[in-house]
Formats: sequence, C-alpha cells, structure tokens
Amino acid sequence: MSMRKITKWLLTLLAFTVTARAQDVKIPPDVEKLSAKAKETVEVTMDGPMLRWASKFLSADDPDEKKAAKLVADLKGIYVRSYEFDKEGEYSAAEVEALRSQVRGPGWSKVVGVRSVREGDVDVFFKLQDDKMAGIVIISAEPKELTIVNIVGPLDLDQLADLGGEFGIPKLDRKTLPKPQLKAQGEQK
Amino acid sequence: MAELISAEQFPAAAEGDFAGIVRRYQAMVYSIALHFLADPSASEEVAQDVFLQLHANLSRLKSEEHVKFWLRKVTSHRCIDWQRRRRPQAVSLEDAPDPPALNRVEDPWLSRRLRQLVASLPEKPRLIVILRYQEDMDAEDIAEVLAMPIATVKSHLQRSLAMLREKAARAIGEVTI
Amino acid sequence: MSASNDRPMQAEPTESALRNALRRREAPEGFADRVWARVAEPDSRKPIGTRRESWLRIFAVPLARWAAAAAVCVALVVGGIYYRNVQRERAQGEAAKQQLILALRIAGSKLQVAKSKIHQINANRVATDQSESHEEKE
Repeated sequence: MSMRKITKWLLTLLAFTVTARAQDVKIPPDVEKLSAKAKETVEVTMDGPMLRWASKFLSADDPDEKKAAKLVADLKGIYVRSYEFDKEGEYSAAEVEALRSQVRGPGWSKVVGVRSVREGDVDVFFKLQDDKMAGIVIISAEPKELTIVNIVGPLDLDQLADLGGEFGIPKLDRKTLPKPQLKAQGEQK
Repeated sequence: MAELISAEQFPAAAEGDFAGIVRRYQAMVYSIALHFLADPSASEEVAQDVFLQLHANLSRLKSEEHVKFWLRKVTSHRCIDWQRRRRPQAVSLEDAPDPPALNRVEDPWLSRRLRQLVASLPEKPRLIVILRYQEDMDAEDIAEVLAMPIATVKSHLQRSLAMLREKAARAIGEVTI
Repeated sequence: MSASNDRPMQAEPTESALRNALRRREAPEGFADRVWARVAEPDSRKPIGTRRESWLRIFAVPLARWAAAAAVCVALVVGGIYYRNVQRERAQGEAAKQQLILALRIAGSKLQVAKSKIHQINANRVATDQSESHEEKE
C-alpha cells in the first residue's frame, strides 16, 4: 500500500473518529480553567446514554418535564459550561474567539450574532446535515458571565426557548422590555 | 402539652392511624428536609427519624393541628441538628458561602437555582423561607415553630427575600439597561 | 399545600417563583414502608428502659416464635438493603434529571436573551426609520 493511500486511510479514520464524537465544541483548557476564577460554575456533560437514562426520571405528570422529555428524545448530547464572575475582565476576547472559531467550518451556520457594549455578545450557530438541524451552539459572552451551550442532535428551537420561561419562572415579555437605546450596537444575520 | 390523651379523644393516637398520619404528612416532612439539606438521602433519613419520634410520642398529641405543628417543629430542629453534625456552622447572610460545584451541577437553573440559593442561606433564615413559601405559614406561626421572636422572623424573611430577589433577577437573564 | 390563614397570595414574581420552587415533593417511593420497617425493628433507637424490658421478654418467648422473629428481622434487613439500593439509584437518577433540566434551562434562557436582543434592535431600527421619515416630511 502506498504512503499516499495510508495517509488517506488515516485521515478518513481520524475524520470518522472526530464525527463519531458527539460534542461539537471542545472547550479549550484556558476556558476550563475559568472555573478557578468564577464565583459560580455550572458544568453539564451528558452524552446520549446519559440523556436517555436521565430522561427516564422526567415525570409525565409534570407538563414542564414532559416537554423536556420530548425535546431530548432524539438528542445525542448536551454540554454546558457557564462561568459567573465577581468582576468584569476575567476572561479574554481570545478565549471567546477560540470557541467561535470551532463553529465556522463547513456544516455550521451563524444565525444570530448580537454585539452589545453594555450587555455582551450572543452568538447562535446551527449545524446542518442533509438540510436538517443537527445541533446548536450558543456562546454568550457577558461582562461578568461566559456561557457555552452545545446541543447535539435535532431539536425544536421554539420548544427550547419556551423552556427558558418554564419551570416556574416568568418568560421574557416583549411588552416589558425597556425602550430601545440608540447607543447599543448590534448586527443581525 | 404533655397531657396524655386516650385514643377515643384523638383518633390519631391509635396505632392504626399512624399509617394515615405518615401518608398525609410524609410529603410535608420530606420536603422541609429536602429543601433545607438539599440531599435526598439525608432528607429521607431525617424524615424517617421524625416519624419514628412521632410514633413514640403519638399519645401526647392532642389533635390533627397539633400533629402538624409538632411535625414541622421537630423536622426543623432535626434538620438543624443534622447539618450541625455534618457541616461547619453557617456564617452570616452576607458571608454565606457559595455551594460547592457538585451541588451546583445537580441543581437546575432558575427555579431550582432558587432552591440552591435557599439551601445556601444560614440555618434559621433558610427554615423561615421554607416554612413561609413551602408551608405558607405566617410569621407568627413560624415564630412559634422555631421558638423565635416574631420581629426576628420578619427581619430574616425580609433580608432573605431581598437577596433571593436580586440573585433570581440576575439568573433569569433579563435584558437590563 | 396547606394554608394556615387567609393571607392573600403575593403577586411579586420572586415570591411566586419561590412558592413554585419550594412546593412540596412526594416522598420517595416506599417511604412509608421503610418507616414501618424501622418501627417494627427490635432496634437500638428505642429508649434504654424500653430496650431492657424487651430484652427480658425475649427469653419468655418459645424457641419457635423467636426463630420466626429472627427470620422476620433478616427479611427486614435484606429488604432494607434492597430499598437502599433502589433509593440510591433513584437519587442518582434524580440528580441526573436535575442536570438535564439545568442544561435545558440555561440553553433556553440564552436563546430568549438572543431573541429579545434582536427584537430590541429591530424596534430600535423601526424607531430610527420613523424618526427620519418624520424629519423628511417636515
């Protein structure tokens, strides 16, 4: 077998290994170390089997948990890192860029990119496979909080956003939003 | 309160109705312990101890209301005792330490984050918040259960609620200007 | 949840959220059985005076009844171990469930933040466009 063929075979194997791994975004070591500086850290790592097992304990009698069970039924993984700090400037733009750069490749689409000097940035990326949703990455970089969410698998975004207002906490209501500030900068794709 | 009552005067004093009392109040006792200790297995152990103690003292209890009061009181004190045997003394509200990472991973966002925040309060304010919002008790009843002055109960409640409100508002992720 | 008085429910969001967050939870399955198991045990938790009295009575019981009582105790211990294992698994499952809900909650809330920011920006643009169009008319 020629060297070229061996190299091609190894690259194919590597690509297969990479795609077989559920998690789309690898958290850089510098970001993982932020937990030492954070006053509060949330870390959730749940792959497919763990999701199936955990969702068995979701109650069908609780409407919120029933929605959650439906949402996660086809998911392959959920990964969350959230760091809340006492003061601003505890993480760098380079660390956030290291995360964003992982979701700029083929198959990824940036659907939301909001920049705000005061409130921070939020980026939402979709992964598409065969024109179908295969995952989502949310990177929220606020002055005192950095959150990365990676959900692998098909999901209903409206249902997910709905859960942001469930479990007993009021949803964001457009009517109660403050009047627009002309100073805030933003862009939408 | 220590007066002995016959089974005829209070049906619950009969052995046969102890099972009924357990069924009626197990959720209440377990939930007080769970919200205080944030540990399901410890909470069950405390709850079992409470009912064992109830079984031993059943003949002293005069009425259904007395049973409920007794259960809330004993559960509260057993929770405090349990915590003191296993953890260092809680510090003041301003210095309350953040829960360790493992507990934070186990607790969900927001609604359950409130439970996490409640579980991080010092003992007495924590019990006061639990009795107020789980059991819907007023300050007077809480003061009686915990053997504290009413003004102290109100003060703890006010400060705890202010702290919880501030942290909950941040947790919801509202757009702030 | 029982209410001991006629105090009106607070409409304030945090208090409503607290009531929801601190609502009563069902005791674990089999809790009452385990309480009864402990009540029925010839256990060391009973007061010392009672224990001594029980100890003396045991010797008055015929051998067959004592053997049956011992068998019941063994069954209770074995059953207790089983229940503890079930309880442990349930606790682990509950913990995993809470992780799952936590993760969904965070993701949902960040999506909501993104949506609201977009809405704010759009509203801002509309306001700016309207203001410019009004100036042109003048």
